[in-house]
Amino acid sequence: MTMTITPLHPDFAGDVAGIDLTQPLTAAQVAAIEAGMDRYAVLVFHDQHFDDDKQLAFSRNFGELEVSSGAEMSKPEERRLKMEMADISNLDQNNRLRPADDRKRLGALGNRLWHSDASFRAVPAKYSLLSARVVPGKGGNTEFADMRAAYDALDDATKAEIEDLVTEHSNAYSREQIGYQKADYGADYQGKLRPVRHRLVRTHPVTGRKSLYLSAHIGTIIGWPVPEARAFMRDLTEHATQPQFRHAHEWKPRDLVIWDNRTTMHRARRYDDLHDVRDLRRSTIRGDGVTVAQVQQAA
Amino acid sequence: MAFNIRPVRPVFVGEVTGIDICQPLSRDQVAAIEAGMDQYAVLTFPDQPLTDDQQVVFSANFGELEIPLAAQMAKPEARRFDKLELGDISNFDGKSENLRARDDSRRMYALANRLWHSDASFRAIGAGYTLLHSRIVPSNGGNTGFADMRAAYDALDDATKVEVENLVTEHSIVFSREQIGFEVKSDDASNVRPVKHPLVVMHPVTGRKSLYLSSHIGGIVGWPVPEARAFIRDLTEHATQPQFVYSHKWRVNELVMWDNRMVMHRATRFNDLKEQRDLRRTSIKGVGLAVADAPAMAAE
Repeated sequence: MTMTITPLHPDFAGDVAGIDLTQPLTAAQVAAIEAGMDRYAVLVFHDQHFDDDKQLAFSRNFGELEVSSGAEMSKPEERRLKMEMADISNLDQNNRLRPADDRKRLGALGNRLWHSDASFRAVPAKYSLLSARVVPGKGGNTEFADMRAAYDALDDATKAEIEDLVTEHSNAYSREQIGYQKADYGADYQGKLRPVRHRLVRTHPVTGRKSLYLSAHIGTIIGWPVPEARAFMRDLTEHATQPQFRHAHEWKPRDLVIWDNRTTMHRARRYDDLHDVRDLRRSTIRGDGVTVAQVQQAA
Repeated sequence: MAFNIRPVRPVFVGEVTGIDICQPLSRDQVAAIEAGMDQYAVLTFPDQPLTDDQQVVFSANFGELEIPLAAQMAKPEARRFDKLELGDISNFDGKSENLRARDDSRRMYALANRLWHSDASFRAIGAGYTLLHSRIVPSNGGNTGFADMRAAYDALDDATKVEVENLVTEHSIVFSREQIGFEVKSDDASNVRPVKHPLVVMHPVTGRKSLYLSSHIGGIVGWPVPEARAFIRDLTEHATQPQFVYSHKWRVNELVMWDNRMVMHRATRFNDLKEQRDLRRTSIKGVGLAVADAPAMAAE
C-alpha cells in the first residue's frame, strides 16, 4: 500500500490515503509525510484508530513533544489527559459536559479566533496533530488559512513595511479579545502569560517560502502604539483569512489532521457545546528555536 | 428639478446627481432623499462644496442633530470646531491643523473607527443618519467601507434568524476602544455606561429587518461575556463579507450619508502621519429602534 496525497486546494491542504499511522512507520514514510507537510501545510488522514499512547508515539516521529499549555495551567486533579495531550474537548475531568459559565470553557472560546498554536511560547509549535475521537452532530469545524499564500498576495509596499516587524504574543492577549481577563487564569498561572517576541514574517526552514506569522495571541508590535498595532494586525488578519486562502475541515470520528503552525493559522467554529460532545486530542511538536531574540526577564 | 439616483449596487448605495445641496431644499426634495435612503441605505453626493454652516442646514432637514461624544468628552480648548454639532473626522491636532503625533490620544481613540461599527450605538437612541463631507482626502487609502445589514440579515440561515431574533446586546464606547487596547477615560460615567439594543431591528419605514451590529457591543444580555463576544465576531464576519460591502473612495467635496440603522461602516488605513484627511461629520438622532425593555440610560 502506497501513501497518496490528493490536494484539496492547489498548494494547500492534502487528503492522505494508504497509510496506517497507528503502526510504526519507516523513515521513508515519515519523510514522505514531512515532504507533504512542507508542500501542503495541512494533511488530513482518515480512519486512524488512535488511542493516546499511539498518537503520542506517532507524533514523536516529527520531533520533541510539547507539554500542553492547558495542562500546565491546570491542577493534576483537573486534568483528563496526559500532560503531552492537549484536551480539545468540552468535557471536564469526569467526562461531563462543561456548563455555560465554566472557566475553562470560556477560556477555550478564544480558539474561535484565528491563531497559531503556542505562538505565546518563545520557541513556538511546529506541527499540531489533532485526532477526533467524538465529533458533534453539527458544526465544530476547524478552519485553516495558508499564511504563505497570504504573504505572497500582499502588495510590495506592505511586504517592505512588515519585513522586519517584531510582534508580542501572550495567551492573555487572545483571551482578552473576548473579555476573558488575566485574573480568570488564576493567581498560580500569571507567569505563563508573560509576552514573548516573534518575527511577523517567517521563512520556512525547508522550502524557503516566506509566510505571515499571525495569531490572535499578538498584542502589539514592538515600537508601535498598541492601538495602531492592533488595528494593523486586524487588517492583516482579515487579508490573510480571505476565503481563497482557507480550508474548512469537517470532522469525522478517527480523522487525524496535522498542520504546520509556522505556515498556517486555524480556528474552531461554533457548535452546540452545551449539549453535544466534541472530544478531540492534540499532540504538539516543539519548534526548532526562537524566531527572534527574547528580552530577558528582570530579576 | 428632479434629481437622479444611480444605483452603485442593485439595492445598496446610490449616487445622487442633479441637485445642489448647498442651497435650501424643498420639502419634496427632502422627502425624495429620504425615500432614496430607505431604498439604498447609503447615498453619495459628488461635487457639493458645502461650508460647515451649509452642512448643518442640509443635515437639519432630516431631524435633530446629535453632539458627538468625542466633543462632549473633550475640553473646549481641545476642540477644533466651535460648533458642537460638527464632528471632526480629521487627523489634525485641533485648531492648529498640524498633523497629530503618532501617540496622540485622539489618534488612538479614532483608530477604533477602523472596526466595523454603527455610529453612536453606545447611546440609548443610536444615530439615524450620519452625513460625512470631505474637505481634504489622502492620495491613497482612507476609504470608508459600508456593509448592508439588511442583506446580511436576509442571508442568515433560518436557525440563526430564530436564535438572534430576541437577543439584546450591550453597547459602550469603552468596548470598541478596548478591542484595540485603548482605555477610554471619562469624568462623566453616563458617557461610558453600557446601553441595551435589540440585535435585530426593523426599519420604521420599510419594515425590513437588519442586524444591529457594532464594534461598540461588549455583551449579550444573559450570556457569558466571552461567548457573546465570540458570537458577535462570527456574526460580524458574516455580515461584512464582500458581497455585502461597498468601499467608498473619497473625492474632495463629496457628501456621503448613511442610515446607521441599516449599515455598518469603517475607515480604512492611510498614511495619517504624513498625509492630511479632513472630513466633517453631522449625525441625526435615530428614531424607531428603542428596545422593548427600559434602556439603561437616557440619550444625554
